[in-house]
Amino acid sequence: MIRALFMLIVLWPMAAWAEPVTLKPGEILRGHFVQERFLAGFAQPLRSEGSFVLAPGQGLIWRGEKPFAVVTVISAAGMTQSLGGKETMRLSAAKAPFLARLHDVMAGAMAGNWQELESDFRVVSQNDGVVLTPRRADLLQSVKSIQAHIGRFVDAVEVEKGEGDRDRLLFSQQNVDQGPLSEDEAAAFAAIR
Amino acid sequence: MTRRFLALSWLVVLIAATLYLGLAALGGVPLQSDLMALLPTEDRDPQVHAAKTHMAEQISGRVVILAGHADPAQAIRAAQTLRDGLMGDGLLADAGDIPSPEAIGRLAALYFPHRAGLLSATDRASLQGGDASALIGRTLSQVFGIGGMADARLLTHDPFLLLPSFMTGLPVPTSRLSLRDGWPSVTADGLTWVLVSGRLQGQAYGLRDQQAFAASYAKAAERAGEVAPGIRLLRLGAVFYAQAGAAQAMAETSFIGTVSALGTVGLMLLVFRSLSPLLLSLLAIGAGLLVAMAATLLFFGSLHVSAAIFGASLIGVTVDYSLHYFTRLFARPDTPQGRLRHIWPGLFLGLLTTLIGYGALALAPLPGLRQVAVFSAFGLIAAFLTVTLWFPLLDRNSSRILPASLRRLGRGFWLLWDNPGLALARRGGLVVLAVVALIGASRLRVDDDVRRQQALNPVLAAEQAQLQGIAGFVSAGQFYLVSADDTQAALRQEERLSQRLAVLRTQGALREWRSPASFVPSAERQADNARLLGEGLNEAAVARLAATIGLPLALPVAADQPLTLETVIASGGVPALAGLVLGQGVHLVALDGIVDPQNLRAAASGLEGVSFIDPVADMGDLLGIYRQRALWLLAASLVLMLPPLIWRYGWRGGLWVMVPPLVAVVSAPLLLAMIGLPFTFFAAMALVLVASVGVDYAVFCAESGADHDPLTTIAILLATATTVLSFGLLAFSDVLAIRSFGTIMLVGIALAALLSPLAGRVRPKRARGWKRHHD
Repeated sequence: MIRALFMLIVLWPMAAWAEPVTLKPGEILRGHFVQERFLAGFAQPLRSEGSFVLAPGQGLIWRGEKPFAVVTVISAAGMTQSLGGKETMRLSAAKAPFLARLHDVMAGAMAGNWQELESDFRVVSQNDGVVLTPRRADLLQSVKSIQAHIGRFVDAVEVEKGEGDRDRLLFSQQNVDQGPLSEDEAAAFAAIR
Repeated sequence: MTRRFLALSWLVVLIAATLYLGLAALGGVPLQSDLMALLPTEDRDPQVHAAKTHMAEQISGRVVILAGHADPAQAIRAAQTLRDGLMGDGLLADAGDIPSPEAIGRLAALYFPHRAGLLSATDRASLQGGDASALIGRTLSQVFGIGGMADARLLTHDPFLLLPSFMTGLPVPTSRLSLRDGWPSVTADGLTWVLVSGRLQGQAYGLRDQQAFAASYAKAAERAGEVAPGIRLLRLGAVFYAQAGAAQAMAETSFIGTVSALGTVGLMLLVFRSLSPLLLSLLAIGAGLLVAMAATLLFFGSLHVSAAIFGASLIGVTVDYSLHYFTRLFARPDTPQGRLRHIWPGLFLGLLTTLIGYGALALAPLPGLRQVAVFSAFGLIAAFLTVTLWFPLLDRNSSRILPASLRRLGRGFWLLWDNPGLALARRGGLVVLAVVALIGASRLRVDDDVRRQQALNPVLAAEQAQLQGIAGFVSAGQFYLVSADDTQAALRQEERLSQRLAVLRTQGALREWRSPASFVPSAERQADNARLLGEGLNEAAVARLAATIGLPLALPVAADQPLTLETVIASGGVPALAGLVLGQGVHLVALDGIVDPQNLRAAASGLEGVSFIDPVADMGDLLGIYRQRALWLLAASLVLMLPPLIWRYGWRGGLWVMVPPLVAVVSAPLLLAMIGLPFTFFAAMALVLVASVGVDYAVFCAESGADHDPLTTIAILLATATTVLSFGLLAFSDVLAIRSFGTIMLVGIALAALLSPLAGRVRPKRARGWKRHHD
């Protein structure tokens, strides 16, 4: 799942295809998200919404607001998660080295280097987006495919997981600013060590 | 004639030794190259010894190579080529030290039914602290946050995500590598590094395996360079060091051997101006080597390269016998028999004292040194017999006139000690020596650190440091040995130890540890975990969580039977685990990132059957003990040399003969301390030889007669020159152990020679059927 998530991060700058605006180093993408998690056998998805901050070279802050205040921070150094300000999980890149690897993929893609991404995924462009399919069996176990709908930015992403589970993400109110990160945001990234 | 009969018998012995050696060589002589094999291996506790050997084998058998290239595909291609090459030659086997996704999957399947009994340390602490909300919060954040690992199936059966938490908490060897197209790899500074690792098939310190591996590696590396031009390779593994060390030792030995041989040959040709003395000397040394090798093989069944090289240099001292014999060529017209008769008392006493000195080596409980002792003792006796039995028969030289320059040299050397006009200068010189030695004594320090005694190839050391930096491998040589009545008792002790180590980790004393119990808790702990879970996360808690998420959730059910260590080992899911289990109830706890070994040693105290093992420090301690023992051996050998000397020279004379070697033995290390050279075990061993050779010199001076024959000092000076050529050159070795040995020899022998004419003031009291040579 974490891998799928990173693919998602990679997809953002692909919006540059639709309109030649690239996320340059130092620039920050902010926006609102709605996440719907469909679990096999249940009609009603688990729904959450909140805001996100994507800073190239730093990572991602995913701040859920409803129904729970769940904050997830991901960087090349690892990942932390907290609920209501209390840490619930911490994963260092040393324990999950693919976090660092995927960070490389992300950095590569943002710099226009698709080799990294294409070594892990088959990338097929469609009229209004792309479909990514993992090339490797071990990735395929957790992610079947990722579909992204791309307008000016990535508007929607659908991640097909195995066993009938899937995640749907809808993004809105996206905008790019010149930074810098707020103190809280910088501190959140720095806290992953 | 008895003389001829004895000479013929000696020929028969030599032929027998040659045949024996030849037959052994046909069957293949087992050779060993590990310098450490010369060192003590004794451990009072056989279990500790077995554990150390096991750990050492695990560490020394490990081979790690990183192939780096800017283009990941090229790096992988090179890694594939290397791996195919090494494994194709059957020299490397997969160690499975990076668990494959399949192995992790197998392990998860094995753990899943037992998940109620498997709690990560933090989850267990939360439940013990009555903080079940932490576990509930984790599930909520995983479900509603991004990047959660929970799917519907996992959530229904393990709503608190205990198993994922346990598995991410497992102390797998930390590294920065992640899989890329199935290859463990990491990107650093624009290069992608791909890992090739495995276990060496064979012995890292076996010469033959070493060379086979080095050849195979060189070939594979060359091919890798062809398929991926510009590839960079980093190596880690004892086999690389051992091979480089052996190659360096060979290069040094052949260099020192060449210089020493050329010097000796040149010297003999220059002094004797004919080929015959040289050839006969070589015959004596050759006979010595031959018998020495045959005897060592007969006694030990194998030949240690270092012992053989070391022993061979000792036998080099036997060139002294030939030198003393041939210096007699310059005496007034004499027959070969007469020449021998003249030097025989000195030769015999010299052999006796040297045998006592070298024999002391055999008293040291060091297997390698015993080999050296046997090797050199037999070599010395063989050389002695060749000189006494064969030289008079083979020597066709006629007497010749002593060149004036040599006569002046020999005379002058005596006069240094005999000239009354130099009495003041002599006293002054001795006072200076005493003062310098005293200052040296204040600066004397000892060095028993094993790591510094061996020269590690700097190129390999740099590659290793870079490799560890890139890949993030860290592992310590230290470990805990846990020994209990059965597996369960051992696991329980490890859990007690883990509690202490967790505290030490928060203090930064170490980074990680791996015990069998961290992969499979004891049955007691599994039951306790299930109990904690039942108390903290009961039906009501599950129901509340289920309502929040909107999923039907079920408490994990405790398994009927606890998970056993044997099952997990058999599954192969944790390759590292098998290496941690030595036997029933005998486990190892491996340690990573140790900062202070003292803390860790203290952590084992009070835990029955748990001991902290630090092989390098232990080896250093042992080296220290043996350094002291070597000094006792030296003292013992000096005392044992006294009886034959007292018998020959009387009490006063016997003691007086001991003065020059004693002064040399005492002052050599003190003088070297002045230039900052530490005193090591190997220096102590060198002193044993300085004593033997020094006594030889003194004895020859004592046997030189009242007229202070210049031929004696000429022979001694020649002997000193050849000894310095062979041993003194060891002072230029890159290996501290050998350098330490060489410098002591250089200084000690020079001092012993310089002081030896002092012994000329002694007269033999008794001849006991020996013909007094100066009548």
